[in-house]
Amino acid sequence: MGVTVLQQFPIVENRTGPLTIDVLTKRISALGAIQQGQFLVDCETYTSVPQLGNQRTVHVLHNSEQPATVFSILETGTKTIPLATDGLFDLLMMKMNSFYTSKKLTKAESKGPRFEIGDFLVKLGSVTVSQNFKGVLVEVEYKPCVVPAMCWELMREFLQGFLGSSVQSSPPSYLQNRMQEIYTPIDTIHQYLEQFTMYRKTPGMRA
Amino acid sequence: MDRDLEQLHTALNSIKVLRSNVGQVFETVSSGLRADHGEEGKENKFMLELQELLTTVNNNLRDVETSVSSLTPPPGPFNLANTTYLSQETTQERQALYGQLVNSYKWTDKIREYSTLAGNILATNSVNKTYKTFSTTKRRKTQTSNHNVAPDVIENLITGIDRLFPDVTITAPRPFAPNPIIQASLGRVLKAIIAFKGLMIEWVVVKAHSESNDLWTESRYKVFRKVTENCHAAMCHFHSPTMPELAVRSFMHWFHSYNTLFSSPCKRCANHLHNNLPPTWRDLRTLEPYHEECK
Repeated sequence: MGVTVLQQFPIVENRTGPLTIDVLTKRISALGAIQQGQFLVDCETYTSVPQLGNQRTVHVLHNSEQPATVFSILETGTKTIPLATDGLFDLLMMKMNSFYTSKKLTKAESKGPRFEIGDFLVKLGSVTVSQNFKGVLVEVEYKPCVVPAMCWELMREFLQGFLGSSVQSSPPSYLQNRMQEIYTPIDTIHQYLEQFTMYRKTPGMRA
Repeated sequence: MDRDLEQLHTALNSIKVLRSNVGQVFETVSSGLRADHGEEGKENKFMLELQELLTTVNNNLRDVETSVSSLTPPPGPFNLANTTYLSQETTQERQALYGQLVNSYKWTDKIREYSTLAGNILATNSVNKTYKTFSTTKRRKTQTSNHNVAPDVIENLITGIDRLFPDVTITAPRPFAPNPIIQASLGRVLKAIIAFKGLMIEWVVVKAHSESNDLWTESRYKVFRKVTENCHAAMCHFHSPTMPELAVRSFMHWFHSYNTLFSSPCKRCANHLHNNLPPTWRDLRTLEPYHEECK
């Protein structure tokens, strides 16, 4: 598991989502990338019923890169508690139906092709929130390195190589506070949640 | 003694000349009349040639006689020390030993001669790139063997290196072994599994921290495979048979420069990536980062 940077790719006017993915696919293939299957990251959000007191939110996420793991992030309002469990957690959430109800309309997912190029892993995901297309998320993982501070410059150079000027000069806000820490899969999940939350808030497509 | 040897040499030499000239006489006689004698008076020419050759042989014979007469026969019997008893050996299979002994003596003598020559030539043309001086006082201090040393010498060297670089952590699963295998972790960047043969570095594999400590499987990441390759090159470059400790130390010093593997751009092209790889080469002298293609 290496450092992963997630960023959204702006959709130009009169270009659809699949077309944007197509353009990016062509660009990355021209650089020598080889497609290695598909990927899927999904997120479902549950909120506690009023009887439990303070409202709490649980985000349950799956990442096809870690297929046997269910990630969940509990927001109590003051604290954020991440949790990585095995697949049974999904069944547990179903049992807790009466305490935590799912907001079906907010089920978000990002899926699309997955590429390998050198030691990099590139995923081009089209984001849908409750089946509505919202935008394009590009995930780039540099597998050999585990400390974001060490390889951010290198990753930025790679990102700029095929995304062009839409790459920011500073790391994603989630990573900024954790530049010196060892990167773990839950950090990727946090980044996805951050992006999904923004997609959910914006009506229509996110430019 | 020296004069005796010189006379012996001249005598042997004159015998050699005589033999070669006699050989020439027989050759001329056996080939008979040749085309280059022409048509007119060819028999006369042939006779003249033969006469000339025979005169040379005569002269040579006289030389041999004079040089032999000036030789002094060695006083008393030759002293062959213990080897004389070999000739008195009665068992059949050991009678050949004396010949073998002489052969091997000649062989060692030749080796000595050639190695002195080679040593002289190599000393004047410095082919190895390791920075060292050939001073006799320093040379006397080094061990004669660098692959058969006491385990605690190696152990001391390893702990010394461990202390030298704060961000290199060295762990040895079996310390005090004659040929230890150590794991050197370089910060949070990478780790190297280094196998020693005495004081020589015999094998290096570079891997990610998450990978196994196996010496035989290479890393699954391209960048670490490339670094492994470069480590092998450096290992050979720094190898120095006369100063093994220095070789290990300079290798580790060079290896330490990989702590900026992901963070420092190439010195030549100022980019981080080339062929989707960071600068995987470190200059052996300046330790500056370069891409494989930029160095």
